[in-house]
Amino acid sequence: MLPSNSGLGARDSGFVGRTKILLFTMLCLAVATQVSAQEPATRAEELAREREEKSKQLTPPQSGRVERTLLSLESGRFFERLLAPPEGFYPKIGNITAGSGFALGPGYRHAGILGERADFSTFAAVSLQRYWMIDARLTFPALADGRVFADVHGRLFDFPSEDFFGVGPESRREDETTYTLHSSQVGAVGGVRPASWLTLGTSVDYLTPSISAGRDGQTIGDLFTAAQAPGLDIQPDFVKLELSADVNTREPRGNPRRGGQYKIAYERYNDLDLDSFSFNRVNLDLQHYIPLLRDRRVLALHAVVSTSNADAGQTVPFYYQRTLGGPDDLRGFRRFRFRDDHTLLLQAEYRWEIFTAMDGAIFYDAGKVASRREDLDLEDLEHDYGIGFRFGTRNGVFLRVEGAFGSNGGKHFIMRFGHVF
Amino acid sequence: MFFRRLLVAAVAALALTETGRSAAPRFYPDDPIQVDRDNQLDAGKATPIEGSNGYDFGEQTFLKPGDRRNIRAVNINTMDEVPDSSWFTNRIGRRDMSIAEIVRGPNSVDTINVDGWPIVRDKTSGITPGYRITDPSGRLYQIKFDPPSNPEMASSAEVIGAAIYHAIGYNIVEGHVVEIDPEKIVIAPNATAVDMTGRRRPMTREDVDKLLARAARLPNGKYRATVSRFAEGSPLGYFKYYGTRPDDPNDIHPHEHRRELRGSRVLAAWLNHDDSRGLNSLDMLEGPAGARFVRHYMFDFGSIMGSGSVFAQVPRAGNEYILEWGPALKTLATLGLYVRPWILVDYPNTSPAVGRFESEFFDPVKWRPEYPNPAFDLMRPDDAFWGARLVARFSDEAIRAIVAKGHYSDPEAARYIADTLIKRRDKVLKTWLTGVNPIVNPRLTVSGALTFENAAVAAGVATTPTAYVLTWSKFDNATGTTVGDTQEVRVTEARGDVPAAIAQGAEFVSVAIRSIHPDFPDWQAPVNVYFRKAADGWQPVGLDRQLSGAAE
Repeated sequence: MLPSNSGLGARDSGFVGRTKILLFTMLCLAVATQVSAQEPATRAEELAREREEKSKQLTPPQSGRVERTLLSLESGRFFERLLAPPEGFYPKIGNITAGSGFALGPGYRHAGILGERADFSTFAAVSLQRYWMIDARLTFPALADGRVFADVHGRLFDFPSEDFFGVGPESRREDETTYTLHSSQVGAVGGVRPASWLTLGTSVDYLTPSISAGRDGQTIGDLFTAAQAPGLDIQPDFVKLELSADVNTREPRGNPRRGGQYKIAYERYNDLDLDSFSFNRVNLDLQHYIPLLRDRRVLALHAVVSTSNADAGQTVPFYYQRTLGGPDDLRGFRRFRFRDDHTLLLQAEYRWEIFTAMDGAIFYDAGKVASRREDLDLEDLEHDYGIGFRFGTRNGVFLRVEGAFGSNGGKHFIMRFGHVF
Repeated sequence: MFFRRLLVAAVAALALTETGRSAAPRFYPDDPIQVDRDNQLDAGKATPIEGSNGYDFGEQTFLKPGDRRNIRAVNINTMDEVPDSSWFTNRIGRRDMSIAEIVRGPNSVDTINVDGWPIVRDKTSGITPGYRITDPSGRLYQIKFDPPSNPEMASSAEVIGAAIYHAIGYNIVEGHVVEIDPEKIVIAPNATAVDMTGRRRPMTREDVDKLLARAARLPNGKYRATVSRFAEGSPLGYFKYYGTRPDDPNDIHPHEHRRELRGSRVLAAWLNHDDSRGLNSLDMLEGPAGARFVRHYMFDFGSIMGSGSVFAQVPRAGNEYILEWGPALKTLATLGLYVRPWILVDYPNTSPAVGRFESEFFDPVKWRPEYPNPAFDLMRPDDAFWGARLVARFSDEAIRAIVAKGHYSDPEAARYIADTLIKRRDKVLKTWLTGVNPIVNPRLTVSGALTFENAAVAAGVATTPTAYVLTWSKFDNATGTTVGDTQEVRVTEARGDVPAAIAQGAEFVSVAIRSIHPDFPDWQAPVNVYFRKAADGWQPVGLDRQLSGAAE
């Protein structure tokens, strides 16, 4: 037996080991040389190799969920189709009337009927405050090359929480009550546009107002009598006639920076049943915009004068009196805080562009109501002031957020769709 | 022990291999490449992408995508130039172009008449009214009208922009100004339009009349428009100004680091192309099956200069992003007492065809697109210098000829546009040709005489430097370093001789050129130029423009 560690065996083992190492070294050299051979010889080759590498890991372009959603909304014209489709069903979104709160309901519109001359639209909507309205109209927006317009319309609505504080400037906030105004209205509108800036219009409507107890809080009948709230006990049907002239030079129309809009309207409310509530009214609504700093700042002025005259021995029913107070006029007061036969509203806003889609505004509102026209002066005006921000484009304000202060009606936070005036 | 020996053997073998060959040389034999063949691998699997305007605005404004490192452009060749590729074809920067060639731009014919070419569908993208037509051979074109308030404005801008971008080197589609006779409009029987309900339905004459109601009508009763021919191939959507297309094997350079995209900011500023964003680009898949590649286009120049496409450009455009926090917050906090300077700019009361365009207030550095663009954000002085050199190639005469292509009916409008472009060009050159040491076109003769040019001096926007300092050395291409002693020479003209001791026996020499100018201290940052010994003399193979204070 040979010892396991015999010299021959050891020599043989060393030889084999050296041979293995030599072979391994040669193998390493071969591999390394191969690696060396793969180094690019030219710039073009270097770039080609980089591209070859990328070709092994190609993936299709991926879009994130947000991008896909936005793309879908844009390419499908989602917002246009949703909010202002010319045809088909759509969700009617927004306020029904001042104070109704957010409302929603189905709408339907069909444009271009009757030989592409007319548009039909209808909607039914109910609000969070349980206001509801059904509306339908057939509109001829541009007859005679756009110089003539007309529509026929009908609506039925129920406003169950209209605020009433009493009539006159001395009404008290603590006398807040509510009433329900339920009414139908059918009518027609017609007018001409002799120039792009001038509209002359007329309308006739048949109205069937009905007053009942309010659904929220103290109801009107608990605190006020028909003597204090004319028309509370009984409501006739009315025919309302209106003649109006509207000069509109605002630029741009949706979010004005210059020009103005000057409207005057004569209204006749004819009591068809009781011969007790017929009256005439004249409304003067003036807006004027003074551009500053190349339209980047604007001084916006607004004045409204409304004066009503009942026929001899008759009165203006409280539910058709003009009101002041709320997010669109005296913003530091509650909605419909003041009402009477005559009203005066003065508003001034300094608006400044913060960036393309956002304006700031500092405002001051003043106004009063009066039972006699001669009292419609600048003394004892209710007033407020505030600051706000408007979001939108030059074509219109989508949303405004405001804080109103300085009145004896408390502080008010306002968030509304659309412009103030 | 055995395994230790194996390890030692492996290391020794690798070491032998390393010493037996060189690492990647600084300059390859084919440097500087003039063409980057980025069409060699089949991109047939690339798929179309669509972009959202809202998302693009939000992403660029709030997220700042892309690689934001301050690095040198990655697709340039060793001479600091952009090689030809599917993105860019050197034209005016590489050769002399006749004015006629510049004006013709991408067009194959001088004029076209679209009377009787049938409308095949509506135009669904963008805000400009228009539709699509086909020529008798079936090729597709897009029609875009001028707005009623500004006849000639957008159509003129479109063809002027196209000619300039094309001459620079970008891929541009063919486009012409045309007058469309409403009586000769034909609607193809199978033409369709998308209505507001989202349905595609047969197109009617009423649809066309509604479009025309939003278009400027000329005194002759016709409607002026631009007609653009669709590019060859299949559309793949747009390219982004950052990253690469993940489905294109040839697209390896992050777009934000492509010089022709970074440097296009210079061009955009000159022309007030505020709508220069990814969504106004186009990728087309070209080539036969199995050898398809992506070509990258820029398009939609209807809102350059004083045009906002469908209205005169807004004063903010070019001066501020749509949303720029600093000025907005200042304005908010001061209730508007802070007045952005651009608000006070006076625009001359010229023809409505001009829109809102001016040169006095224009500051190239402060110029802004509508919202941030990653490649623009990353533009460095050397990228800007590249762009400015191209802008410098447009002579006054060429600019006036290009503007004439806009067919302004009012000569005063054409004169004003041309004058304004010339003044803005001069500002661009003064700003960006002087932002780096502007040494260009180095040459070294076989006898060792070095010549070079100063681009800023040549353009007339700077005086001659008081001196140039030339630092010569041999260059080892294998290691990428200078070797041996350096020799410094101070000269007063843009020339010098390579020292014999440096040139002798050298395969490569390098010279660092510093410009001494009292008005431009940044010019002391050297431009390192590398020459390779060739059979017929010295070939410039590398140019490395150092930036003062730049980080890599």
